[in-house]
Amino acid sequence: MATSTSQHALSSIKLLSTGCLHPDKRNCRVLSVSVGRRCPSARNLGLLCASNSQSSVIEPVQLPRSPKSGVTPKKSGESALILIRHGESLWNEKNLFTGCVDVPLTPKGVDEAIEAGKRICNIPVDVIYTSSLIRAQMTAMLAMMQHRRKKVPIILHNESEQAHMWSQIYSEETKKQSIPVITAWQLNERMYGELQGLNKQETADRFGKEQVHEWRRSYDIPPPNGESLEMCAERAVAYFKDQIIPKLVDGKHVMIAAHGNSLRSIIMHLDKLTSQEVISLELSTGIPMLYIFKEGKFIRRGSPAGPSEAGVYAYTKNLAQYRQKLDGIVQ
Amino acid sequence: MATSTSQHALSSIKLLSTGCLHPDKRNCRVLSVSVGRRCPSARNLGLLCASNSQSSVIEPVQLPRSPKSGVTPKKSGESALILIRHGESLWNEKNLFTGCVDVPLTPKGVDEAIDAGKRICNIPVDVIYTSSLIRAQMTAMLAMMQHRRKKVPIILHNESEQAHMWSQIYSEETKKQSIPVITAWQLNERMYGELQGLNKQETADRFGKEQVHEWRRSYDIPPPNGESLEMCAERAVAYFKDQIIPKLVDGKHVMIAAHGNSLRSIIMHLDKLTSQEVISLELSTGIPMLYIFKEGKFIRRGSPAGPSEAGVYAYTKNLAQYRQKLDGIVQ
Repeated sequence: MATSTSQHALSSIKLLSTGCLHPDKRNCRVLSVSVGRRCPSARNLGLLCASNSQSSVIEPVQLPRSPKSGVTPKKSGESALILIRHGESLWNEKNLFTGCVDVPLTPKGVDEAIEAGKRICNIPVDVIYTSSLIRAQMTAMLAMMQHRRKKVPIILHNESEQAHMWSQIYSEETKKQSIPVITAWQLNERMYGELQGLNKQETADRFGKEQVHEWRRSYDIPPPNGESLEMCAERAVAYFKDQIIPKLVDGKHVMIAAHGNSLRSIIMHLDKLTSQEVISLELSTGIPMLYIFKEGKFIRRGSPAGPSEAGVYAYTKNLAQYRQKLDGIVQ
Repeated sequence: MATSTSQHALSSIKLLSTGCLHPDKRNCRVLSVSVGRRCPSARNLGLLCASNSQSSVIEPVQLPRSPKSGVTPKKSGESALILIRHGESLWNEKNLFTGCVDVPLTPKGVDEAIDAGKRICNIPVDVIYTSSLIRAQMTAMLAMMQHRRKKVPIILHNESEQAHMWSQIYSEETKKQSIPVITAWQLNERMYGELQGLNKQETADRFGKEQVHEWRRSYDIPPPNGESLEMCAERAVAYFKDQIIPKLVDGKHVMIAAHGNSLRSIIMHLDKLTSQEVISLELSTGIPMLYIFKEGKFIRRGSPAGPSEAGVYAYTKNLAQYRQKLDGIVQ
C-alpha cells in the first residue's frame, strides 16, 4: 500500500472528478467508462469516485467565523468523518465468501490497519464506530495506536446491565483521555447467506456461475438467506443517520471502521450515488477516506497522505491547526 | 521477554518444584520463602509456581496404550490446555486500574501476543476461549496467526438469534478448517469497581494507601462495587468446570486467552492452591502455560520454548508426534 507515493498525492485531488477506481482483488469495473469519462490509471487512490456531482468536492472550506476558535475545529461547525475499510482477513486470503462470519485479520491485514493509522494520526477523533466483527474492531484499535493525540479507545459494553455496570470508569480525568468505541451489527459486512464459507468453485458448482455473479453485482437480489446490497445499505445508512450524524452535527469528529459493503452504503448516502454507481464503487483497504461535515453537507477530502508521501493532501485550515497543536504538545 | 534463553529452558523443569516467581511489573513476593524453599533466581519462567504438590509435575507422561493412536493426541486420552495472559494494555502503560474496562493493547502488547503465538505454534488447538474484552481477544487472534496448522479462528456469536443466524458457515470443508472462538464474560479480568480508571495516586488520595493495598492483596475483600479475587475465582472456575472441562474430557485441545486474575483463579483450581498461595501467584504476560489433561488430572508442563531458546521443553510423546506431522505437511 505504500507504493506510488507522489503519484498518489498528486492524483488524490484529481481523482475526485475523474471517477477512477482502485485496482482491488476483485474485478473492478471502471465506472467512468459507463458515464463517458476518461480514467487515467491511478493506483492506490484510496477512494473510488462514482459520483456525478463535482461541485461539493473541490471548494475550499471556509475559514471559521471567530478567530479565537481556530485551534479547536469543532467550534467552527466543522467535523471530520474518517472511514476505514479493514484489510485482509484469513478468508480473503483463502478466497472464501466471508459476509458476517467473524474471521480475523491476517498479518497483512494487521499491517494495513497500522498503515491506515499512520495516515490519520493527525486528524481529530472523538468517537469511533465499528461493526461487531473482530476484523473491523482490530483495525480500529491498531489504527488508533498510531494516533498522536494518545487518547485511549475504550469499547463500550451494553449487552447487559452487568456488562454496562462492570465497564464503568471512575475518574473524570481518565474519561477525558478516552475515546468511546461503539460496536454495532448494523455496520457489519453484508450478510452473504448460503454463500458464507464457500469458495468460488463451490459456489459455482452449487448455484451456477452466472447466478453467483448476479448476486455479487446486483443491487437488490440477495443470495439465499442473505442480504442484497440494498438490504445492507438500508440498515447501515439508517444507523448512520440515527446515531452518527447527530454526533457530527454536535461537532464530534467520528471514525468508522467497517466493511466494504457497509461503507459503500454510507458513501452512497454521503455522495448521493445511484444504485448503478454504488455497485461499481470499490473501496481500498487500509486507505482511510476523509469527509468534512459542514453546514449539513459532506465534503469529500480524499485520503490523507501516508507518512512517506509528498504532502499535497488538502487539509482544511482547522485540521492544519489541529496538527500544529499536536506538533506542539506531542513528542 | 526473549532474554535468558537457555536459562529459561533449563529452569523450566526445575521451577515447578521450587516455587519461583517471575519478576513482573508489580511487586513479586517470593512465595517459596514463606514455605521455606530456596528460590533460585530464574527469569522469564512464564509460570509461577506456588504449589505444594510436586508429584503431579515431573512424572513423564505415559505412552498411549495403542501405538496406532500416536499421531492424534486425543485418542490417547490426553488433551492440551494452553493458558495465555494478554500483554500490555494502554492503561497498564499509564498505570491505571483497568479491571473490566475494555482497553486495547499497546504495540508492545501486540508483540507479546505474537511472541506467545510463536511458542504455541506446534501445539494442537481445537477450541479457543477468551473473555469479552478486546485485549484478550486480540491476543488470541494475534497468537493464532503464528500457528502452523493454519486453521482459521472464528468467533462465535450468540448474543441474539440474528447474530447466530448471520454468522453461519455453509461449507463443511471450511468448518473443518475452523477453530471456534467462544467469548465469555466469566473469563473477564476481576472487576475493580470504583478503582477502575484511577491511578495509584488518585486511589491513595481517595481511599488511603493501606486500604488499596489490602484490596489488591487480599483474597476476599472487594473494592467498593467491585469483586474480590474470591468472587472472580468463583465465576471463572465455575465457567471452567461447566464449559471447558467437558471439552477436555472429550479430547479437545483448548486454549484460553484471558487475564491475570481469571487465569490465576483457574490455576488455583488446576494446581489446588490455597488462597494464600494464589495471592502471591504472578503470571507472566505473553508467555503461555501448558497443561496436559489426562485421566482427569492436570499436569503442568511449564512453558513451550520460544523460537530462539534452546529446546529443553518437555513435549509429551503425542505432542512431539503432532509437531512432526506439522513439519511434514506445512511449509
